[in-house]
Amino acid sequence: MKIYTGTGDRGITSLFSGERVPKDNTRVDAYGDIDELNSVLGALAANLSDEEALIEELQQIQSTLLQLSAWLATRPDSALLESLEEIADEQITFLEDAIDRLQKGLPVLKGFILPAGHITASWAHVARTVCRRSERKVVPLLNNVPEGKAAAQYRKSLIYLNRLSDYLFVLARHCNHMNGFSDKLWKK
Amino acid sequence: MKTRAQTYAAKLLKRKWLSKKTFEILLNLPPAFTFKPGQRISLSLEKQERDYSIVSAPKESELALCIRKVTGGKLSRLLSVTDIGTSLLVSGPYGYFTYKISHRPAVFVATGTGIAPFCSMARSGISGFTILHGVRSPVDLYYASQLQQSARKYIPCLSDAKKTTGNAFQGKVTEYLEQHLTPGAYDFYLCGRSEMIRDVTRLIDERSPGSLVYTELFY
Repeated sequence: MKIYTGTGDRGITSLFSGERVPKDNTRVDAYGDIDELNSVLGALAANLSDEEALIEELQQIQSTLLQLSAWLATRPDSALLESLEEIADEQITFLEDAIDRLQKGLPVLKGFILPAGHITASWAHVARTVCRRSERKVVPLLNNVPEGKAAAQYRKSLIYLNRLSDYLFVLARHCNHMNGFSDKLWKK
Repeated sequence: MKTRAQTYAAKLLKRKWLSKKTFEILLNLPPAFTFKPGQRISLSLEKQERDYSIVSAPKESELALCIRKVTGGKLSRLLSVTDIGTSLLVSGPYGYFTYKISHRPAVFVATGTGIAPFCSMARSGISGFTILHGVRSPVDLYYASQLQQSARKYIPCLSDAKKTTGNAFQGKVTEYLEQHLTPGAYDFYLCGRSEMIRDVTRLIDERSPGSLVYTELFY
């Protein structure tokens, strides 16, 4: 039996809420970028071979990104909104606590740094930039639906993605430092 | 998602053959197990595991599953012969193939045992839908009387032209929709084989813009 349907072969896909939309639809574009971010986090985790606590932290973030994608893939007027789990404040403070923890072990930053260094740091920087792009893709969804339950979750998503970008920046520095790479400052 | 799946032990209470290759089993489950009509569970026995959509309604005391004995299907073969009273593992519920209240008319389309989630919906009090059941021959039109009671229109579609019955449509569900579905926007619920889901979805894209499509793939 085939496990593929081919319903997307003509450039149209289904949202979680059932609407058939072109694959360049703003929602598909937004959750597609979150999917990309999630995959990059997977690549980063795969390179953190013996850092189990960090890998677990990244897996928790990956799960939250799926939760967030479900909101983006559901039209605000859908009955399915009720089946979605809201993004909790604790999921944002989880990132903030992690940032504070990682930051403590790092030297004070004295300028712009190059997104470079150890392979794990480089993956963290790629993740950070994809995260920023994802954030930009959520903005128009909020602008189109400024009020209601979905809008509240888009706002939470923007906070989460903003904080995640900061986390990934600090994580990149942490990865460099734990692997003996110092920050490469921008030389004008 | 709000659904939290758990694992339960269940006992096989009864097996009833619905056609030559399809049978229904009844399982007992603890009252803690809850689900929504249209959801599925994962069933395992002797390290063989497979997902099945639930046929019964949440209010019923026993959980009913509709199973087709497929060539090479280890679990379906096991379930077709295992002793009544055997203990099985059930995890779930899974999935979001549930009925959503809407101002658009609902059209349910099933092939074979893909009828299961629609039975659960009908047995839970959902009514007024149009339902197409695509099968090869009339003996596979299991649950017909239950569905007829709740449906606004029940349309059996028989793909084997030699085996006709009453007022059944001769042909595939896609052919029925092509020939008879009034233009407009609907909420389509498709459950069954990938070929049906592909063909019906393409038809919807071409002829029923503004419709919603919910799918549950059986493989």
